[in-house]
Amino acid sequence: MTRQLAPHPSAKPKRPPGRSAKVPRRRWTARTRRDFFVFLAMALPNLVLIAVFTYRPLFSNMYYSTLDWTLGSPTASVVGLANYVTFFTSNDAPKVLGTTAVFTLVTVGGSMILGLLVALALNAKVRGTTFARSAVFAPYILSGVGVGLVWLFIFDPGYGVLAWLLRGIGQQSPQWINDPQLSLVMVILVYVWKNLGYCAVVYLAGLQSLPQEVMEAASLDGANGFRRFLSISLPLLSPTTFFLLITTLLSSLQAFDLIRIMTPLGTGTSTLIYEAYLQAFGAYNRAGYSAAISVVLFAILLVITVLQLRFVERKVHYS
Amino acid sequence: MTLHLDRRHFLGLAGVTASAAALAACGGPSTTGGGQATSQAADIDFSGVKPAAKIDFWSSHPGQSQDVEKSLIEKFEAKNPGITVNLVTAGANYEEIAQKFQTAQAAKSGLPGVVVLSDVWWFRYYTNGSIIPVDSLTKQLDMKMDDFQQSLVNDYKYDGKQWALPYGRSTPLFYYNKDHFAAAGVPDRAPKTWQEFGDWAPKLKASSGAQYAYIYPALAGYAGWTLQNMLWGWGGGWSNEWDITCDSAESVAALQWAQDSIYKDKWAGVSSKEAADDFSAGLTSATIASTGSLLGILKSAKFNVGVGFLPGGPKATTNVCPTGGAGLGIPSGITKEEQLAAGMFLDFVTQPESTAEFSAATGYMPTRKSADMKAVLAKTPQIQTAVDQLAVTKVQDNARVFLPGADQEMAKAAAKILTQQGDVKSTMTDLKSTLQGIYDRDVKPKLKS
Repeated sequence: MTRQLAPHPSAKPKRPPGRSAKVPRRRWTARTRRDFFVFLAMALPNLVLIAVFTYRPLFSNMYYSTLDWTLGSPTASVVGLANYVTFFTSNDAPKVLGTTAVFTLVTVGGSMILGLLVALALNAKVRGTTFARSAVFAPYILSGVGVGLVWLFIFDPGYGVLAWLLRGIGQQSPQWINDPQLSLVMVILVYVWKNLGYCAVVYLAGLQSLPQEVMEAASLDGANGFRRFLSISLPLLSPTTFFLLITTLLSSLQAFDLIRIMTPLGTGTSTLIYEAYLQAFGAYNRAGYSAAISVVLFAILLVITVLQLRFVERKVHYS
Repeated sequence: MTLHLDRRHFLGLAGVTASAAALAACGGPSTTGGGQATSQAADIDFSGVKPAAKIDFWSSHPGQSQDVEKSLIEKFEAKNPGITVNLVTAGANYEEIAQKFQTAQAAKSGLPGVVVLSDVWWFRYYTNGSIIPVDSLTKQLDMKMDDFQQSLVNDYKYDGKQWALPYGRSTPLFYYNKDHFAAAGVPDRAPKTWQEFGDWAPKLKASSGAQYAYIYPALAGYAGWTLQNMLWGWGGGWSNEWDITCDSAESVAALQWAQDSIYKDKWAGVSSKEAADDFSAGLTSATIASTGSLLGILKSAKFNVGVGFLPGGPKATTNVCPTGGAGLGIPSGITKEEQLAAGMFLDFVTQPESTAEFSAATGYMPTRKSADMKAVLAKTPQIQTAVDQLAVTKVQDNARVFLPGADQEMAKAAAKILTQQGDVKSTMTDLKSTLQGIYDRDVKPKLKS
């Protein structure tokens, strides 16, 4: 007796005989035509805006990166990939890439870890959490320029609030603004302070949507709070973590306002995006070279996003 | 005919459209001519041209000059009823206004009639072809060029042409707290040399209660400008003509002395934002700041303020003060009518009465010899020191004013030496290499042979 095996779920069903492989086109009926125009009315303005304000500058910038062009000059000469070669063989490249890496990793890690801790605290059912949530989220929606100016006053080693407090205990203020390494620490601290509210609120939403029955079952099995967080909450929060990882990474790599306000020369804080700004608009007027740095940043952002979508998302538990 | 256009095809079409738009946008600078443009040195003929009815005046309001600029514009419009001048705040400082101006140049639109340009920017505008020579305008408008302070007007001469006229011109001044000096028992005057101040400084620090005896101006400001004074005093400099000399033994010795005043002798500090504010707040007994800060300091300081010439050094005790500040230029990318109206405005704001009014309001130096400064000096006698110091000023080193980005590189090097105790010799050697690279790449090819 021959045993019939059940077809594998992934096996495609056999096409009925006599049917063509080609799927017939849908007829362009009055209804589909109407739907199409509705779609056109909705999508076209956005597509035009994206084409004009995103892709146009992107391609223009790629073109400019092949020029030796002084900003403001009506003429330029084509130099091919020379601007890229100059950047990667200069002393600036390791410094700028290193600063970018440190700034991005610490701000992303800091914002997410502190944001999660704050979210756990805000998730507790105690009085005043509504006010605390607003207070934590408020810095995120404040203007970066205003935040930078206020924090500069706090950090000012001469007559800043921090210096005043330190003098009270007989200590001198560190040179937050003049010392490049401390400048980077200062900007990172302020950036994390400003952005952890965003992570906290998103994590809080994630925490509040966790299935309570799983938590209760774990409690009944004797798992303590830390164990429940580590083995249940954290894995179930992975979609939130993944979302935050992408958004905070992209925004950190493009952080500009705080760096511009707190360290205008970019001494110690010149990330890729700020270096691109300084080279074109700061003082050097090297528009072509600046465009090449921007393209390098674009490539890094693209690679990171693709890698995240391909590899990190696999680790995410959606249920 | 049936139209088969589904969403997939539409998106494809949209993509093609976007790509086409992107490619079409690849305009930017012209690459057909090759090389870079420099301003046309040929005189522009303004005969028969009628001035435009309206021009913009882009200013960063140096020395908090917004009110006096408005006042000058009102007087100009009263005298020239057919011309309206629109005062535009185009930035908070020289760098921001330069950024806006160069962006407008790149966009080829929105250019002003008159723009404030600082000592480190006008030459770049010249090499980019962004400004016109004003010689034909000064001739047509019969401007008395020999009445200008020659050291100030000559700063804008290149290739036999005048590229701008002096406006908010300044020099650094030595500011000191008279009360601190009296309490320390040191003479009530600026020191003649830095060595003399080095002798006074420990006494000042001990008796004043201030954090520092002297504070170096903020490095993010214009470190390259003020440190020239020390370099020259020691017989060094940023450069000698186009020869970069910042790593010479004299330059290194000057900056080593500055570093020692902070780390070894511990009587000096570095301002983190604005030395004039630190001084006014009583944080330090002395500093160097622009003459443009004079009125602000006199207004906010709650002690007796003294001013004096910049100190010299072991090699030079005079001509150790650089000129600085801003001039006014006229863009090349506007109509002749606008350029003529701009020239008329330039003529008006550089008149002796106008420059005296501007000086009275800001502390900047009068740019005309015949400016009647009696009333101004009666009110603010300290301005006389700034005017007297003009006679012993020195034209700035090429490396600082003509190399794009040099000021920033100098500030970074100064930060390494003065705030991180970096090795002076190796820092200056690195700086020389950077400045030489900028010169070879960005300036040398554009210089007239």
